[in-house]
Amino acid sequence: MKSEYTPTDRASRWPLLLLLISGTVWLVASGVLAVIASVQLHTPGFLAGCSLTTYGRMTQLAETAFVYGWLANAGLALALFVLGRLSGEALRGQNWAILGTIFWNIGVLAALVGVATGDATGFALLGLPKYVQLILFFSYASIAVPGILAWSGRQREVSYASQWYAAAALFLFPWLLSIVHVFLFAVPVRGVLQAIVAGWYAQAAWTLWIAPLALSVAYYVIPKVTGKVLPSYEFAALGFWALVFVGGLTGGRHLVGGPVPAWIPSLAVVSCALLLFHTFIVVLNLRGALSAGGIAAKFIAFGVAAYALGAAMDALTSFHSMAEHTQFTYFDEAQKQLALYGAASSILFGGIYYAVPRISGKAWLSGNLVLAHIGLTLVGIVMLVASLVAASATQTRGLMDPKLSFEEITLHVRPCLLLVSGAQAILLLGNVALLLNLYTTVCEILNLSKPAVFNTPTAVETHAS
Amino acid sequence: MKNNVLFFLGIFAALGLSWAGIVLGSNAQLGGLAPFYDDSQNSAYPEWMPGEAARGQLVYKDLGCAECHTQQVRRPGFGSDQARGWGERQSVARDYIYQPAPQLGLSRVGPDLANIGDRKPTAPDSEDLLKLLYAGAEGMPSYRFLFEKRHIGVGAQPSDLALNLTGSLEPPEGWEVIPSERARALVTYLVNCKTTYDYPEAVPVPPAKEGSEEGAK
Repeated sequence: MKSEYTPTDRASRWPLLLLLISGTVWLVASGVLAVIASVQLHTPGFLAGCSLTTYGRMTQLAETAFVYGWLANAGLALALFVLGRLSGEALRGQNWAILGTIFWNIGVLAALVGVATGDATGFALLGLPKYVQLILFFSYASIAVPGILAWSGRQREVSYASQWYAAAALFLFPWLLSIVHVFLFAVPVRGVLQAIVAGWYAQAAWTLWIAPLALSVAYYVIPKVTGKVLPSYEFAALGFWALVFVGGLTGGRHLVGGPVPAWIPSLAVVSCALLLFHTFIVVLNLRGALSAGGIAAKFIAFGVAAYALGAAMDALTSFHSMAEHTQFTYFDEAQKQLALYGAASSILFGGIYYAVPRISGKAWLSGNLVLAHIGLTLVGIVMLVASLVAASATQTRGLMDPKLSFEEITLHVRPCLLLVSGAQAILLLGNVALLLNLYTTVCEILNLSKPAVFNTPTAVETHAS
Repeated sequence: MKNNVLFFLGIFAALGLSWAGIVLGSNAQLGGLAPFYDDSQNSAYPEWMPGEAARGQLVYKDLGCAECHTQQVRRPGFGSDQARGWGERQSVARDYIYQPAPQLGLSRVGPDLANIGDRKPTAPDSEDLLKLLYAGAEGMPSYRFLFEKRHIGVGAQPSDLALNLTGSLEPPEGWEVIPSERARALVTYLVNCKTTYDYPEAVPVPPAKEGSEEGAK
């Protein structure tokens, strides 16, 4: 296992750590915003006196910080890590990544300031005012440069599933962003078409950008930690192309029964069902994660399970008869949290626990913080999704009964919403633990007074696990 | 996969497919949607919103009202939309063609607002809505930052715009609560949210009965 711990990792140390640290800072920031927003849901008076913190803006702020702050930064860091390692040499063009990261984070900050001061777009998963989209487009492309160079200049001619997913995510996001920029902001389409394009973007951002970033990590780390070839790997390419071709067609999932042509939600039903084929292959390939030991594998196993569960829920609720009950309730929020937190973030956490000791050359400084993070995160996600589902069940019963007023529904849902706040607070605590641990571990690199202790590879593994 | 160019073309084709299908496809179908001209009434529907209402929609958007309120009534029989008095018919694409930023929404923490200006049995008027915005309700925050509490000058008359508040909300003697321009635009928008005209495509199709001609009508 000597090759497990290579100098090429350390060559790309700073760009990757910069991305990871900024991602984790955004994660904690979005956690604070999410706690505030969740409290406002059961106690509407909380921070309602100021336009900056009104509930409608707070939720969008939390989501933007989470998706474009945390998922993007961490996902890109790990995609570059995976592509670099599989290319067989150190990343080239690293300064592009550093430059891009700086401008990306400036762009995300500007987006948050914009949303808070009244430039909210009102589109789900697209809380980016018009003026930051160009900055984000170019900085994303800049961050992607080392990844693309590593992909196209790889030493082995064949490539692996983790490379396909990472390269697809690097290419597809700028395209997606430029398309919605044109159709929703530069020359906005008319009427309900805006909702159709926004729905298409939200689904494509998940299936063609965030999910591939996470899957790339899972496909890389699982064979590494299990030490085995992925079972049924010959189907992996089929799974990849199924996701890429069908993912974007699920765009009408939220428009069931809405004022749009009926073929759009119908296409979403078919595509969500077809995506189960992709999900099945992913589970088939990555099932080894369930029995593997170590923090990274545990996070990824949880993430893959959440990914499969989420895909099944998406497929079920895209049907008319199910959507009648789940549409417009907290069930949508439960699905979103299951996907973005349960699946994508868990897998990225796993990737971080795998990658950081290798790129920093240091074991995690505090094993207790690692345990605190995984414990709080897994409990928090389960509690968050379960209480949102419970809230949606109560809410649905209320909504279907026209005699119940919204005041009464709010009162009935309140206990569940209190639990949601609790879950968000638990998740926030867990993420503070991650940030603290990451920060102190990275400081260790700079600590020159102490001679660097080079752990043997196995020691790094066990310490992190 | 060995061929980079093929790989690149593959994912490009995949994205292009969904883009052409959903974005361009729906645009081709609905992009040219024209207002419906009713000969018997000699006018076209939907009607343009007044300018203040159109500005109100932007206030609605930037405050994130759509996080809790939808503006799409589903057809009778699909959920309780009709029974709640939100609209006699489903919302259709034509309802939205003149809206600068349609706010269909994804969540119903609060009621649907597509037809709030014509809600049955009674629709709230501007004053009701301003008071609701000022006071908030169970499950809905108050939006006091959209109002100004100010001193009535000595010997001056209270403003015509002042809210007629009672109970605990009543401002102290010599003070009045004035809605800001944004609050007035928002409320003008809401009372103009009406889907009263029945387009041919919006009339619910009665369930076809076996052997009867009703269904075909």
